[in-house]
Amino acid sequence: MSTLEEPEVEPDGLDIDAVHERLGDRVLDTEEHINAPGIIIRADEVEETLTILRDEFDFDYLACVSAEELPDRYETIYHLKQFADPTRELSIVVPTDRDRPISQSAAHVYETANWHEREAYDLIGIEYDGHPNLKRILLPDSWTGHPLTDDYNQDKPQVVSYKAHENPLLEHTKEDDGETMLINIGPHHPATHGVLHLKATLDGESVVDVEPDIGYLHRCEEQMCEQGTYRHQIMPYPDRWDYASAGIINEWAYARAAEDLADIEVPEYAQILRTMGAELCRMAAHFLALGTFVLDVYGEFNALSMYAIRDREKVQKLLEDLTGQRIMFNYLRLGGVAWDIPEPREQFFDDTRQFINEDLPESMDEVHDLLTDNEIFQLRCVDIGVLPPKQAKQYAATGPVARASGIDMDLRRDDPYGYYPELDWEVVTDDGCDIFSRVMVRVREVEESAKIVDQCIDLLEEWPEDEREIQANVPRTLKPDPDTRVYRAVEGAKGELGIYIRADGTDTPGRFKIRSPAYCNLSTLPVMAEGDFVADLIASLGSIDIILGEVDR
Amino acid sequence: MSSQQPPTELDRNVLTKTRDARATGVDDRFNSRLREAMGSTPFILTKFDKFMNWVRGSSMFILQFGIACCSLEMIHAMMIKHDVDRFGAGVPRASPRQADLIIVPGTIVSKFAPRMKRVYDQMPEPKFVVGMGSCTISGGPFQEGYNVVKGAEEVIPVDIHVPGCPPRPEALIYGIAKLQEQVANGETSPVVVKPYELEEFGNMPRDEIIEQLSDQINEDDLAMRYNWGDSP
Amino acid sequence: MLQAVLQTDTVLLPERLVDLLRLGEFGVVGEFIAGLIAAFLVANIMLIMTAIAGPWAKRKIRARFTDAIAVNRVGPAGLLIIIADAVRLMSKEIIVPEGVDRPAWELAPIVVALSALLGFAVIPMGSGIHVADPEVGVVFVFAVASLASIGLVMGGYASNNKFSMLGGLRAVAQNIAYEIPLVLVAASVVIFAGSLQMSEIVAAQQDTLISLGVVDIPMWFAIINPFAFVLFLAANMAEIGRNPFDTPEAPNEIVAGYQTEYSGIYFVLFYLGEFIHIFLGGAIIATLFLGGPAGPGPESLGFVWFLVKIWAVFLLTQWMRSAVPRVRIDQLIEIGWKGLLVLSFLNLILTALIVGVITV
Repeated sequence: MSTLEEPEVEPDGLDIDAVHERLGDRVLDTEEHINAPGIIIRADEVEETLTILRDEFDFDYLACVSAEELPDRYETIYHLKQFADPTRELSIVVPTDRDRPISQSAAHVYETANWHEREAYDLIGIEYDGHPNLKRILLPDSWTGHPLTDDYNQDKPQVVSYKAHENPLLEHTKEDDGETMLINIGPHHPATHGVLHLKATLDGESVVDVEPDIGYLHRCEEQMCEQGTYRHQIMPYPDRWDYASAGIINEWAYARAAEDLADIEVPEYAQILRTMGAELCRMAAHFLALGTFVLDVYGEFNALSMYAIRDREKVQKLLEDLTGQRIMFNYLRLGGVAWDIPEPREQFFDDTRQFINEDLPESMDEVHDLLTDNEIFQLRCVDIGVLPPKQAKQYAATGPVARASGIDMDLRRDDPYGYYPELDWEVVTDDGCDIFSRVMVRVREVEESAKIVDQCIDLLEEWPEDEREIQANVPRTLKPDPDTRVYRAVEGAKGELGIYIRADGTDTPGRFKIRSPAYCNLSTLPVMAEGDFVADLIASLGSIDIILGEVDR
Repeated sequence: MSSQQPPTELDRNVLTKTRDARATGVDDRFNSRLREAMGSTPFILTKFDKFMNWVRGSSMFILQFGIACCSLEMIHAMMIKHDVDRFGAGVPRASPRQADLIIVPGTIVSKFAPRMKRVYDQMPEPKFVVGMGSCTISGGPFQEGYNVVKGAEEVIPVDIHVPGCPPRPEALIYGIAKLQEQVANGETSPVVVKPYELEEFGNMPRDEIIEQLSDQINEDDLAMRYNWGDSP
Repeated sequence: MLQAVLQTDTVLLPERLVDLLRLGEFGVVGEFIAGLIAAFLVANIMLIMTAIAGPWAKRKIRARFTDAIAVNRVGPAGLLIIIADAVRLMSKEIIVPEGVDRPAWELAPIVVALSALLGFAVIPMGSGIHVADPEVGVVFVFAVASLASIGLVMGGYASNNKFSMLGGLRAVAQNIAYEIPLVLVAASVVIFAGSLQMSEIVAAQQDTLISLGVVDIPMWFAIINPFAFVLFLAANMAEIGRNPFDTPEAPNEIVAGYQTEYSGIYFVLFYLGEFIHIFLGGAIIATLFLGGPAGPGPESLGFVWFLVKIWAVFLLTQWMRSAVPRVRIDQLIEIGWKGLLVLSFLNLILTALIVGVITV
């Protein structure tokens, strides 16, 4: 394969030679991705190889599985990382034959591979040998063809069957003992925060089994991005992944991957603007998470969810001043941002300071008053919906969900980007592993974000006027070298939001794969909810904080 | 056999009348047998119609129904600051049986379209639909997607379209207020599209795809055929 | 002291009507007609109150708690929304889902609405509005109020919907768990008043407990035994299914519980039943603990005071709704059986002691 350029982040401490030595003959070839060294292995040795890497080299984190179709073969890439140090990365590339795309499944090594491989089967058509449940995940079961392949004709009519569960009264018992009852929560249900379908098997009020059924908002985001040009056409789409106002963070995920791909240096001033924007977004997203979670536990239209939305409204006002839109910001550009702080600058700084220093502490007091100090709330949330750290790692949970299980990983600190390394803030963790910790982590992260925004405001205010460079020099048309591959992630509001891009020499990506944090976090729901009550299932789901746009893409 | 002829004649008559009513702006949704019996404009019934229109236009229960990005702005419209409840349309009901208004806030994809149709069918008459955002008009930014239904009107009839991606809460409130105005004036837009119907799989015209799927889908399962090439 | 209480003489509303309309000469028939009129009046008072509470007051109160405005466009202060909401809901299509258990499905909303209304028959509302005063008033009111749970389980079961089923079952479990503490606490009031008759219970609370200069503290049972009052408030919250005990219809868990499948007029009846139930809960609290229609001013103001008291209870339910999380069904049952039941037995002993002290 090609060795194109030096990896930007040295995999420090990762002894790649030792890996080679240990794997021995299993290594067919190597290749160099921008983010990590790649090892090509045979399609029937996946499980074995990954087990060695997991157990002996500490690669306990399968960040992403991206599958793609190349002219002469299909390929599955397992992006391995370590929770202790996410900059130690390794890509395991598994090529498969065009005629018989069958590859061994990794689902027995990493639980998270289960959903990733189902998605790859659904969209690309690679079959995974030994997969426990290989069926379509995003598209309806009756779909014909695999849409992200070249020979797929999307003008062909499809028959979408209403099929199972159109009548919830039909007897669906798990075992034929008549003791259990299957209820369909969703796709239209007030607690699913969108269009998620949970097939829950109940024994009385307690949950025996729950199976999330997703794909009700699969809007072909990857196809859209593969059709757009790098420079301008892709950027509006990331806003619509995690649409809970985390837009700037999503844009940053794409920007980070594309800038690494095209080797663009972002000016420092723009980095500060990005950092500030991203943290404002994180606050808005966490407020929404809090508001909707409270709806699940308190009942509709209680005061606290209203207050959360009120605060979110304030953040949105700031973001609107900065970017011009309330949710779909489209603010970042490759190599910088769209524009500077709006004039008059003082007005913006004053408004932001007013919010950070006066309104926010007040509403945080309110939150603690009404929520975290409330005994009934604690009764509902403490030691409920437990996600043990080991399971969290297996399912590749990230973000607040992982940090509430005591996993101390935050890409802003561990895989630094933007202006985060220069600022003074802390990574919030909690080892309660329960719903309460997840809520608390979010509440405290809002406070940390406020600290970051405050420092950014100071920096922006003092920045000399003639050095306010918001945009680097970027060629009008970006055409990265063919066959360059990069997987880059940022810390989204829900966790690690990663983008895998393979350039094919044109001005549009050859493959654009989104590693969505909510997708992986949602797969932990059965671990949290099984054995608990229905009400706990709803609360657990709320505490994961899924955004269906990001889950289904 | 011959006895079938007169009713058909009558039906045609009624149909013409209704069509006239529609053309002259009198809504057909609230047409009743009583009104048919009492002629076109008896005083009491028109006053009563006016009153009922006012009632329906003044108060609406909204179905709690979130799909995508727009549902966030819908939440904002219902919460404080925007507070659509000022217009008497702020009571969310979780069950479609008790809702009058369904706001379709987002992209509809193939897997969800039949479900949305079912939710709409579960609502009691008279029911109204506000399509929120570009996606419910044409598929919006995702129009070219292989999985995206190109507008809510492919599935259910829509009374008001609120453009935007996403529309601001103010825009949604304006849309709802406009709908209320329309209802109060008795001029909700007539159904202009023939929405896609769910039909039994066995009844679908046989062709290559049906043959292919016949071992997966039961004869009497409901299914929807979506022809991606034909849609706007 | 208690002997004085027993001398009170109540004139019931039907008797007054007999006098007023000169129905006496028709004998039993006249009394029957007078009873009907009285019941009609009282039922309408309650229906009007629910009409105000359901579509308008509830929204306005919630808006106050959450810094919002709520209805203000339809009529002055949005008041016409009451008419609009009521007429619209009644004129909606009634959908009868496939496979419902028809008679039960249709009876359920009626049972729910009626059971709560029946309870008001024995409540003394002041200003002479008191339909009946049987000797077993307290027993009657609890018996009738708990009929509602039959309605709920009927609706939940007959709807042929799993969410409804869960809601109905939850409602029954909850009502059984909280009915017993509720009745036990009420029994303590009975011990105190020495009678099951509502008018006697009200009369027993008329006297002054302590006189603090100009202010006379009345001998309301809530003041004599605040412990019982708090217990009753808590159990009552569960009995009427409001936050934090609104599990039977928890919208985010089981859609709308037992009323998921109901539309149109049936839904109105359920909705009505719920609100009348809240008011009935308030009325029971007012009668047993807050001296019924007692209050400063002439006796003819009694009805106003009575209204103030039941609206205060309504306000409390709405306050809870905006501030308190919902407990889980198993926790709710646990609180009921392990907490409130034990406490209400304790309360019985405590009341016995208090009554002993007062009579000595």
